[in-house]
Amino acid sequence: MSQRIVVDPITRIEGHLRVEAEIENGKIKDAFSSGTMVRLLEEILKGRDPRDAWAFVGRVCGVCTSIHSLTSVRTVEDALGIVIPPNAELVRNLMNCALYMHDHVVHFYHLHAMDWVDVVDALKADPKKTSELAQSISHWPKSSPGYFSDIQTRVKKFVESGQLGIFANGYWGHPAYKLPAEVNLIGLAHYLEALEWQKEIVKVQAIFGGKNPHPNYLVGGMACSIGLDDVSGINAERLSYVKQLLEQGKTFIEQVYIPDLMAIASFYKDWGAIGGGLGSYMAYGDFPTNGYRDTTSYKFASGVILNKDISKVMDVDLRKDDEVQEFINNSWYEYKEGDKAGLHPWKGESKIKYTGPKPPFEHLDVTQKYSYLKTPRWKGHAVEVGPLARVLIGYARGREDYKAVVDKALTDLNVPVTALFSTLGRTAARGLESVLVAQWSLEFYDKLIDNIKNGDKRMADMTKFDPDKWPKTALGVGHAEAPRGALAHWINIEDKKIANYQLVVPTTWNASPRDANGQLSAYEAALLDTPIHDSKLPLEILRTIHSFDPCLACSVH
Amino acid sequence: MSTIAPKSTPTYYDEVVRKGYTRRDFAKFCAMMGAYLGLSQSGLAQVTDALKTKPRLPVIWLHFQECTCCSESFIRSSHPMVADILLDQISLDYTETLMAASGFQAEEAMKNTMEKYKGEYILCVEGSVPTAADGVYCMIGGKTSMQILEEAAAGAKAIIAWGSCACNGCVQAAAPNPTSATPIHKLVSGKPIIKVPGCPPIGEVMAGVIVHVVAFGRIPELDGLGRPKAFYSKRVHDTCYRRPFYDAGLFVETFDDENARKGYCLYKVGCKGPSTYNACGVTKWNNGTSFPIQSGHGCFGCSEANYWDNGRIYSRASAFPGFGIEATADKVGKVALGVTAVALAAHAVATNVRKQNLIHNLEKEGQQSEKDLDNENI
Amino acid sequence: MKNNKVHRLRRVFVWELPVRIYHWLNALCIVALVVTGLYIGSPLVLQSSSEASEKFFMGWVKTIHFIAAFLFFFNFLFRIYWGFVGNKYADWRNFVPTNKRYFKEMWQVLKMDILMMKGKEHLSVGHNAVAGFSYFITFILFLIQCITGFGLYAAMSNFWVAKMFAWVPTMFGGEILLRQVHHWTTWLFILFTVVHVYLVFYHDYVEGRGEISSMGGGWKFIEDEVFDEVKAEKQKKMLAKKEKMETHMKPLT
Ligand code: HEM
Ligand code: HEM
Ligand code: NFV
Ligand code: SF4
Ligand code: SF4
Ligand code: F3S
Ligand SMILES: [Mg+2]
Repeated sequence: MSQRIVVDPITRIEGHLRVEAEIENGKIKDAFSSGTMVRLLEEILKGRDPRDAWAFVGRVCGVCTSIHSLTSVRTVEDALGIVIPPNAELVRNLMNCALYMHDHVVHFYHLHAMDWVDVVDALKADPKKTSELAQSISHWPKSSPGYFSDIQTRVKKFVESGQLGIFANGYWGHPAYKLPAEVNLIGLAHYLEALEWQKEIVKVQAIFGGKNPHPNYLVGGMACSIGLDDVSGINAERLSYVKQLLEQGKTFIEQVYIPDLMAIASFYKDWGAIGGGLGSYMAYGDFPTNGYRDTTSYKFASGVILNKDISKVMDVDLRKDDEVQEFINNSWYEYKEGDKAGLHPWKGESKIKYTGPKPPFEHLDVTQKYSYLKTPRWKGHAVEVGPLARVLIGYARGREDYKAVVDKALTDLNVPVTALFSTLGRTAARGLESVLVAQWSLEFYDKLIDNIKNGDKRMADMTKFDPDKWPKTALGVGHAEAPRGALAHWINIEDKKIANYQLVVPTTWNASPRDANGQLSAYEAALLDTPIHDSKLPLEILRTIHSFDPCLACSVH
Repeated sequence: MSTIAPKSTPTYYDEVVRKGYTRRDFAKFCAMMGAYLGLSQSGLAQVTDALKTKPRLPVIWLHFQECTCCSESFIRSSHPMVADILLDQISLDYTETLMAASGFQAEEAMKNTMEKYKGEYILCVEGSVPTAADGVYCMIGGKTSMQILEEAAAGAKAIIAWGSCACNGCVQAAAPNPTSATPIHKLVSGKPIIKVPGCPPIGEVMAGVIVHVVAFGRIPELDGLGRPKAFYSKRVHDTCYRRPFYDAGLFVETFDDENARKGYCLYKVGCKGPSTYNACGVTKWNNGTSFPIQSGHGCFGCSEANYWDNGRIYSRASAFPGFGIEATADKVGKVALGVTAVALAAHAVATNVRKQNLIHNLEKEGQQSEKDLDNENI
Repeated sequence: MKNNKVHRLRRVFVWELPVRIYHWLNALCIVALVVTGLYIGSPLVLQSSSEASEKFFMGWVKTIHFIAAFLFFFNFLFRIYWGFVGNKYADWRNFVPTNKRYFKEMWQVLKMDILMMKGKEHLSVGHNAVAGFSYFITFILFLIQCITGFGLYAAMSNFWVAKMFAWVPTMFGGEILLRQVHHWTTWLFILFTVVHVYLVFYHDYVEGRGEISSMGGGWKFIEDEVFDEVKAEKQKKMLAKKEKMETHMKPLT
C-alpha cells in the first residue's frame, strides 16, 4: 500500500514549493514537485525599453539578487553588439562573487543547517568539549568555552520562554539527527554568527551597485564611475573597503563554513548515497577573465555531463534551436502549437492556463498538469544545474583549482568520488565552490587595481546606448552561473522595444515537472528511494530538496 | 496601550542581557533607534523603558507574490543588535523563509499563534495578492493567498505591508498586470496598515518600524499614503548630497562621462529623486555604505506607487500614454505644435480666399476714408 | 456690405484697466513659467570650470519659476474676483455657457471663423462665445497647473498657501505622475498661446475693430450699424419678454 504525503509550504527556501510523494515500504516511490505562484514577468516585459529590463528581471528574485540583472544586461549587450570595458567586467565579477559568498553561506546556515543540526539537542552539549572540538577543526577565534556556554544559556532561556519563534514546531529529536550535542552547539552558534556576518559581504554590491538587495546595473558597463579624485566615485577609500570585505568573507568561509560543513558531513556519510537523482549535469560557465565573449577564459567551466560519465563533457550552444527547449506538457500554460511542442526561448511563449483543482484542495491531480514551472530540456535530456554540476564539470574538464579542493574534501571525508552524486555531494559542492569564488574575488580585485594604476578608468561604453543607433530587429542571449545553477535570458528586440523576453532559470531546470516522455526533473528524481522514517515528519524530504537550494520565484518568474 | 504578550515571557532587556550585551550596548541601540525615529531625549527614555518592560511581540510574516528580498533586506538591518533582536526578540512565529518547520507543522505554528494571540499579533505581509482567476496564481498549502490573508488579518492587531509588492503591487502589477496582483490595503479593511514601500525597503527602516510598534505599543505616525513619516517624509532629492550640483545646473550627460567622474547630478540621466519619498539619502543602504545615487546610478523611484509604469529609468520624461515608448510628452507636444502651426497657416490662407470680399471691402473702406480725407469737398 | 460704403465707428470701452493689467501680467507669467518649466524638465549640460558652490543656475531657474508661479496664482484669483465685479465684458458669464444664445453664437462663430462658411457675422463686442469658452477651458488649465504645481511645491515650503496643496501628491498616488501631468499641461498652454495670438491677429484682420490694440488701450471700434443692430435685438427681446410676462400674468387678473 502506498501513501501520499504532501509537504506544502516547503519552508527555508525562496518561494512557494509543494512536494507530493508516494511512500511505499518506508521509501519514496514517486514524487511530484510543484511551483504554486506565478507573476508572468515575461508578459510584463513585452513592449518595454530593453535598457530597463535588468531592473524588471532583477525583481525576479531577491535572494539571488543581482544575477538576473547581470544576465539581462549581458543579453541586451549581446543583441546590440556592445562590448563593455574590462573594469566593468571586473566589477560585475566582484559583485557576483559577493553574491555567491552571501548566498551560499546563508543557504548553509539559515536554510539548510536545521535539517542536520538539532537546535534543542545543542542545549545538552558540554561547552568545554565543544570548545575543544571547535578549536581542533578551525582557527576561528570565537571558540572559548565561555562563548559556547553563553550561547547555550541564551538559547535555553529562549526555549523556556515558550515562545519558540522560528524554531517552533521543528523536527527536534527526530532519529535522523545524528550529530553529537557539541557539533549541534557549534552549528547553532554559527547560525547566529553567520546572521551577523552575511550583512557585511553584500556591502561589496552596495559600493558598486548602490544597494543590496537589488543593486543597479547598466547596459554598456556599470554606472559607478572611477573617480579617484572625487568623493562620490570609486576611489581609494571605496576600493579598500571592498578589499577588506572580500578578505573577511574569505576568512569566514575558510574558517567557519568549510570546517562546519566537513564536521557535519562526516556524521552523515550515508547521505552520500541518497538523493543523487539524474546523474546528468549542465553548466554555462561564468566569471570571464578575458571578456565575456571569450568563454574559454571563464573561471567556471561550461558543459554537459550525461549519466555520471565524467570522462565526457559536451558543449552547450544557447543559440541553437534544438538544444535548450521548454515544454509545458505538465505545466499550467498553453502553447499555440499545443502541449507537445518544445520551444526554443527565442520563440518562447508564456500564456498561463491554470487547470488544477479549485482551492482549497488536499491533493494535486498529478495525472494532469501540476505546476507553474515549465520543463526545460537540453537536447531532450533532463539535467541538473547548480554547484554540484559546476564542480563536476570543472573537475571533469581537468581544472586544477577544482581538482585541488575536490580531492582534498574527498580525502578528508574518506569517501569515493561517486559520493558526490548525492544530497551530501550537492551540499558539499556548494561549500567547495565558495572557497574557489572567495579566492577568485581577490584576483579580480587585484586586476581592477592594476587596470586603474595603468590609467584605464573606463567603466561603461555608452556609444550604443541611444536607441536610434540600434538595428530594427535584434536577437540576444545572455548567460550566467547563478548560485543555483545555469541561467540564461533570451531577447527579441523589435523597433527599439522588447518583442519577447524569456528566462530559463536554474530552479526551473531542477524543480520542473516531468516531461511528456515521463522523464523526471532533478528534484523528483533525487527524491526517489529516499528512506522516510515517519511520513508525518518530512525531514528527509527537506534534506534533499534543500540540498538544491530551491528558489521558486526564480523558477516561475 | 495594552501589553501584547503574556507576562511570563522575558522582556527585550532580559533578552539583551542574556545575549551577552552590556547595558551600554543596550543604551546605544536605543539611542540609535531613537535617532531613526527622530525622538527627543524624553522620547528616547520612553523607548528604553518600553524595551525593558514589554514582553516579546508575536509576529506572523506572510509571503505571497514576492521575490523575498524584503526578507533579505530585513536580515541585513545592520546596527549590531537589530538583526538579533528582531529575529529573536520579537517572536517571529511564522515566516516561510526562516522557520524550521515545513508543511503541516508550519501551518500549525501559524494557527497556534493566531489562536493564542488573537487580536495581539502583528501581521507582516510581503508580496502582493493575485486576485485574477479566483486567486490560483498564488497558492500555499492548497489555499489561495486571498484566503490566507483574510484568515490571518482577522485576528491581527495591525498589519505591516512590506515593500512595494505589498504596498502597491510592484513589478508584477506593472501593465498589463496579468495576474491582477493587488496590494494589501485594497483587500483588508478595518485594520491599521503601515505601508513600508521600497523595492526592497531599507533594512534599518524595516527594523525601525518594528521597533516603533514594539516600543510604543502603537503604530508610528503615518502620512497621507499610509507610510511612516519618520522615513518617508523627505524626497531623495531634498536629502541628496549631489543637490548642490543640481542647483548649480551641473549634470551628468551620459554615464561614465567626465561629469559622472566628478559626481555631478544625475537628473538628466533619469534620476527620479525629485519625485521619490524615501530615506536613501539619509539612512542610506547596508549600514550607510552607499545608496543608488552615490554609486552613480539615478534613483528610479522604487518606493513610489506604479513606478514601473510611470516612466522609464533613463529618461526623465515618461512615455506618453497611448503613444508607445518612444513618444514623450515633449515629442507629442512638438508634433502637436507643428500640426497647429500648419493648421493655422492653412486657416490664414483659407481666410484670405474665403473672406476675400470682406477683406477687400475693409481695404476699400480704408482707402475710401483716405481719399475722403484728401477730398476737401466733403 | 455694399461697395465703397464707409462705416461710422463707435468707440466701446471693453477692457478695463484691471483686466488689461491682469492680461499682460498673466501673459508674462505664462511665458516665464513655460520657459523655466521646460528648462527644469530638461536642463542643458552647462560647461564651466568654476566650483559648483559658486553657481546656482538651476536654483535661479527654479526661483523664477516659483516667483512667477505665485504671481500667476494670485493674478488668476484676482481675475476670478473681477469676473463678479468688473464690467459686462469681464463678467464670468462670458466664459460659461449658461443659455441657448451662447451655444447659438458658438455655432455661428465656428461656422464663420473656423469652417469659413458664408453667413451672417456674429455681433459680439467683447469676447465672442467661442473665445469666451476657450478662456474658460484655459482657466481650468490654470487651475490644474496651480494644483499640480503647488502640489509639487508643498513639500519644499512652509508657506500656508503652498501647504494647502499638500494633499495633492496623495491624490495622484505620488509625485511621479503629478510631475508628468504638470509637464503635459504645459504643452496645452503653449498650444493655447499660439492659437490665441493667431486668432487675435485674425480678428483684427477680418474685423478691423482694433482687436490687437484693445488689450492696450481697452477700446474696440464697433460699426454704427452693428451697434444699432445689437440695440434693436435687445429691444425686441425686451418686448418679447414683456409680452410673455403680460400673457403670463393675465389669468391672475
Ligand atoms: C503656466 C503655468 C505653469 C507651467 C507652464 C509650468 C511648467 C512646468 C514644467 C514644464 C515643469 C517641469 C516638470 C518636469 O518635467 O519635471 C515644472 C515644474 C514645476 N513647477 Fe511648474 N508650471 C506652471 C505653473 C506652476 C505653478 C503655479 C506652480 C506652483 C508653485 C509650479 C510649480 C512647479 C514645481 C514645484 C515644479 C518642480 C520643480 C522642481 O523640479 O523642483 N508650476 N513646471
Ligand atoms: C502668453 C500669451 C498670452 C496669453 C496667455 C493670453 C491670454 C489671454 C486670456 C486668458 C484672455 C482672456 C482675458 C479675459 O480674462 O477676459 C485673453 C484675451 C485677449 N488677449 Fe491675450 N494672451 C496672450 C497674448 C496676447 C497677445 C500677444 C495679444 C495681442 C497682441 C493678446 C490680445 C488679447 C485680446 C485682444 C483679448 C481679448 C480677446 C477676445 O476676447 O477675443 N493676447 N488673452
Ligand atoms: N534558481 C534561481 Fe536564482 C539563483 N541562484 C536564479 O537565476 O534564486 Ni532566486
Ligand atoms: S517589494 Fe520589491 S523587494 Fe520586496 S518582495 Fe517585492 S519585488 Fe522584492
Ligand atoms: S542626483 Fe537625483 S536626487 Fe540627487 S540632486 Fe540630482 S536629481 Fe536630485
Ligand atoms: S530607486 Fe529606490 S533605493 Fe532609494 S534612491 Fe531611489 S528610492
Ligand atoms: Mg521562462
